[in-house]
Amino acid sequence: MKLALNENSRKKQIQRYWELLQILVTRNLKIRYRGSFLGVYWSLLNPLIMTGLYTAIFGASFAEYYNNSIWNYILAAFTGMVVFNFFSTSTSQALVSVLDNGVLLNKIRLPVTIFPVSMIAANVFQFSVGALPLLVVMTLINSKNIINLIALFLPFIALILFSTGVGLLVSALYIFFRDLPYFYELVAFVLWISSPVFYPAAIVPEKVKPFLELNPITPIIESLRQIVLSGASPDLSLIGTAFLGGIIFFSLGCICFQLWRSQFMDLL
Amino acid sequence: MEVIRLDRVSLSRRTQEEFSYDLKKTALLFLQGKYRQPARNLVLNKIDLVIEKGEKIGIIGGNGAGKSTILKVISGILEPTSGKVRVQGNIAPLIELGAGFDGKISVTDNILLYGILLGFSRKEMKKRVKDILEFAELEDYALVPINGLSSGMVARLGFAIATDVQPDILILDEVLSVGDESFKKKCKRRIDNFWHRDTTILVVSHDLDFVRQSCERAIWLDKGKLRFASHANETVDYYLNSVN
Repeated sequence: MKLALNENSRKKQIQRYWELLQILVTRNLKIRYRGSFLGVYWSLLNPLIMTGLYTAIFGASFAEYYNNSIWNYILAAFTGMVVFNFFSTSTSQALVSVLDNGVLLNKIRLPVTIFPVSMIAANVFQFSVGALPLLVVMTLINSKNIINLIALFLPFIALILFSTGVGLLVSALYIFFRDLPYFYELVAFVLWISSPVFYPAAIVPEKVKPFLELNPITPIIESLRQIVLSGASPDLSLIGTAFLGGIIFFSLGCICFQLWRSQFMDLL
Repeated sequence: MEVIRLDRVSLSRRTQEEFSYDLKKTALLFLQGKYRQPARNLVLNKIDLVIEKGEKIGIIGGNGAGKSTILKVISGILEPTSGKVRVQGNIAPLIELGAGFDGKISVTDNILLYGILLGFSRKEMKKRVKDILEFAELEDYALVPINGLSSGMVARLGFAIATDVQPDILILDEVLSVGDESFKKKCKRRIDNFWHRDTTILVVSHDLDFVRQSCERAIWLDKGKLRFASHANETVDYYLNSVN
């Protein structure tokens, strides 16, 4: 009897979380794109322009690493760009989300994680209607293989896990340290420059390379490129590495958030 | 049947002023070995309280005595540092309305948002939208963003949503008076309705006459301690005698 009751209340909690998530995500998207002409597709504009810019500057000199084809460089840069863009936008939005809703959290009982998670979820939606269809088309053209198409979602899931973990971590830290955004900008820049988005990994000196491999975004980008661009069947070990980083950061984020929760309520 | 039970509940909180919000400064202090744990204040001190279903309880006491804090502990917003809190039934808070609104989206969207934040399902809220608009007298504004409403209208909307629901336990932090005279009357009728029903009500108020008239029982909190708990009249008398 008691067990059934528990199960019932857990089901209710999950349902409540889901409904909260839905309404907060719709609100985010509504506010962001109210009265905008391109709507959700604004989020594609940034990586497209950046890709164009990098191609114009580096394309010619790096093309030799991409089978002497500028087109390959463009595709590689674009896939890297959308991944990194997703990470940096969603985490920096998550960063301020808990503190911004501090007043509300002090009035109504809410699962605190809902705010950073809803920021990530809004970006997942954006990615799914913006960049993902492009990636799907690219995969089909390059590999003509349905397995690659399914595998395409795996690095994306790893990316979501990683971003959620980092988002939880920074949103909790921000409550203790209000100057965190400046530091985070720096951290994000280090991650950006150390992931081979617009340059080929081959130009990095051997001694420095191991450090770059510590960057959890690198395997995610590499795995996505391998699946979308190479045309070969998915490399499982790459996917595995991508997931490893994602899962580690996701658990770290969840654990720290729970540990700090009781403390940061005093400071909201 | 008891609905709320506090067993030796204590809560210590960090004082905000004590705290340096600076990562750079904290890191430097740490390196110099001058870092110390932030001080904590005991806001609630071993409170025992049992509330039966349907009781109307007034909470009185000076500023900073922990009145609002105890409500937050009961609603589950804050977890006690030690002791146990048990609550049966759903709680609706009615504290400073309008905190959950988003000025940029429409009134209807806000009703859904606020209702779901308060813990009601989307399906239920959709059904209630019409009633709520009607009570708040805002039918003509359903699709207007909240920013386009006057502050009185926003307060009316907040009240309408929070009281449209029928909670088992209602929490009032400083009884509200919103809107113009005619709306105030409507509010009063609604609150009276809660009073007559089987709802358990907790009120924090500085209005002692109000507590005498509308509550059965009252508790006096003093610097985080439960000083006195009895019939509303007795508690208020005791409180007045001790303070003067």
